[in-house]
Amino acid sequence: MRIILVGYGVVGKGVTTILARRYMEKIANYGFNPKVVAIADVDGAVINARGFSAEKLEKFKQKGYPLSADPDFGHQGMSALEVIESVEAEVVVEVTPVNIKNAEPALSYITKAFKTGKHVVTTNKGPLALAMPALTELAAHNNVFLRFSGTVGGGTPMLEFAKRCLAGDKILAIKGILNGTTNYILSEMGQNCISFQDVLANAQKLGYAEREPSMDIDGFDTACKVVILSNWVMGKKVTLKDVNITGIREVTLELLQDAAKRYSTIKLIGTVEDKEVSVKPVEVPWANPLCVSGVLNAVTFQTEYAADQTLIGRGAGGIETANAVLRDLLDIRHKLASKLLS
Amino acid sequence: MKKVVMKFGGTSVGTGENIRQVASIVTQYSKEYKITVVVSALAGVTNKLLEIACQAKKGDEKLVKDFTNELLQKHKEAVESAIVSKPLQKKVNQRIEEIIAELGKILTGICYVGELTPKSKDYVVSFGERLSAPIVWGAIQNNNLETQCFTGKEAGIVTDSNFGEADPLMDFTVHLVRERLEPLLEKGVIPVVTGFIAANQDGIVTTVGRGGSDYTATILGVALEVDEVWIWTDVDGIMTTDPKLVTTAKLLPQLSYQEAAEMAIFGAKAMHPRALGPVSKETIPVRIRNTFHPENVGTLITKEPVADAKQVVKAVAMIKNVAMLNVNGAAMVGAPGSYTKVFEILGRNNINIMMISAAASEANISMIIKRDMVSRAISNIEIALSGLGGLVSEVTVEEDVAVVAVIGAYMKGNLGLASKVFAIVAKKGINIHMIAQGSSELNISFVVKEKDGIEVIKAIHEEFSLDKA
Repeated sequence: MRIILVGYGVVGKGVTTILARRYMEKIANYGFNPKVVAIADVDGAVINARGFSAEKLEKFKQKGYPLSADPDFGHQGMSALEVIESVEAEVVVEVTPVNIKNAEPALSYITKAFKTGKHVVTTNKGPLALAMPALTELAAHNNVFLRFSGTVGGGTPMLEFAKRCLAGDKILAIKGILNGTTNYILSEMGQNCISFQDVLANAQKLGYAEREPSMDIDGFDTACKVVILSNWVMGKKVTLKDVNITGIREVTLELLQDAAKRYSTIKLIGTVEDKEVSVKPVEVPWANPLCVSGVLNAVTFQTEYAADQTLIGRGAGGIETANAVLRDLLDIRHKLASKLLS
Repeated sequence: MKKVVMKFGGTSVGTGENIRQVASIVTQYSKEYKITVVVSALAGVTNKLLEIACQAKKGDEKLVKDFTNELLQKHKEAVESAIVSKPLQKKVNQRIEEIIAELGKILTGICYVGELTPKSKDYVVSFGERLSAPIVWGAIQNNNLETQCFTGKEAGIVTDSNFGEADPLMDFTVHLVRERLEPLLEKGVIPVVTGFIAANQDGIVTTVGRGGSDYTATILGVALEVDEVWIWTDVDGIMTTDPKLVTTAKLLPQLSYQEAAEMAIFGAKAMHPRALGPVSKETIPVRIRNTFHPENVGTLITKEPVADAKQVVKAVAMIKNVAMLNVNGAAMVGAPGSYTKVFEILGRNNINIMMISAAASEANISMIIKRDMVSRAISNIEIALSGLGGLVSEVTVEEDVAVVAVIGAYMKGNLGLASKVFAIVAKKGINIHMIAQGSSELNISFVVKEKDGIEVIKAIHEEFSLDKA
């Protein structure tokens, strides 16, 4: 399977690592033979129609920036759109940084891939948060797949669990802690009585929080994930602007101590219900399985027959997300195979 | 502020003077509503474009030249009386000249190539709206409102590539339209969008076909989450029957989406069911209003019409210029797939079946088709299905018939309704030739001799007190 990789940051590099590692095992177990035929970065691209070898991928990583300076395969100044349009491949793996203002340039990359008949695996929440119904429709119209397990609980396959393991049951509501950073902050505040500012500073030092933390602490990251869950699991055609969002800036130590008196704590909960899609700090009893600490994520699917099902696991780091990409690629390969043979 | 999409039909933008009226309606309502305007082509232009496209195929360049000159003249005249400000006139005329120059090139191209694909046909036909929109834009601008002109493609309507009858990729369209038009509406700008035309995902011009500009209006209505879609036309709204046939015909103040869809048999004066599709799903009300009598409230189409509008029978219509085709054959009895063969022959020859009736004996099937299709239908069925060992033994036709349709959503489950209808007909001593009622029970259709049609319509209209509505 020929792959165009768009974006060469932490996740992009992680993807090449994971594809190169245990290469023979993948062919043996899954009949999956991934070939990265192009990598597009901000300043240009490297292209090799026959696929880069594992060694070459490793070399790219060590040589570092800029990729397109490679004497044999480099194309300086070639845009990702050009690469997607002109290079022959089955799948585009889109792993550029998130932008929740207009989702660009990722949105253009994904639509271009669809229009040229390529499947897409993305780890980018931006395009999905802003245009998921549109992208789902466009993929179907062009008869290609769009996969994005890396966007929600990359380390914990929440999307596939809900879609496959709960098939046939009716999911009535979804509630979850979907952002590790805010959960870490709230846990530290609640358990160790450290002020918001101090925990945030510490989290930034530990690498749990970004320099620009708004995406996490103002609830946008959770909201993006809520949008994806609503569309994919519940079939609700919503986008980011349909979500009522409140972050954790207003959660004080007093509020947390008050909650503790009631054997509860406050968590940033993303909720998908029949009427409302929201993100807000909610009081959760300690006994609730959803009540996990630290950087853990947890999500509860309330179903009609199977009652409550809670999934707890790690959120996403670079390698977890890259592994989610592999999961999606295997899924697409599987679907393609049955399509080709039918 | 509430949001509306206002669509103005071909007659509403038929002359410069009418366009001024359109601009004054928009101006008046712009104080209360955020408006998106959708315009049709100037009356008659779309048909002329279709004609010239077919003519051009034969390679007559002179004809193309004459046509584009005539078209330029027509639109310049409209500009002259629609827009007062001279600089604005100049600006719009310039735009129109550019667009017509482009049209000229395409038509010349068709002359040389000598073929007209569905793709190029859509392109040619799209010029009608592309030419009318700038004039409406100019007239609104002339009233000192902020406005901006878009083609359906520029507004963000993306369709499949089914040229001539394209369907929107609704979710993708919603995304793009919101991104492009909503910020303008927020700023108080009035977008003027060409109806009927859109583009596929590669940006190639398509047309939406049946439903036309009304369809564009409802698509935009859904995308922009408007409070209502207003269809401005040259009639007051949907009537209980054709006022040319029955002078006591009354305006229907409210209808359900389903009823409105049934009314499509009234033809151009009603809305095509396809256009109602998007709004009925999102339950956005549609109002049909008269451009030339804006003081009238018109007909409101909603999900749940108010209680006093829940009359059993809402309207009665007559469809003329039809013929009844009877296909007989003992071999059809108990033979699975035999009707399919008949329908397939008609479908392949582009003959639309308007109504069907077949008794359980299966030896005979009656269909209503357009009268001018009769000989084609008979000939093809005979060639394909009759003869030795054939399915069909005889095809007969009655040409002097008309269909009468009695319509109303609350007819469903109303016992004795059919018998009341047929008793009215019987009392007039008129014979019924064919009957059909779908299980939706929104519509009872039957066939009488055409000469008796008006009498039947009048009698039903009166007996069900439609004239007193």
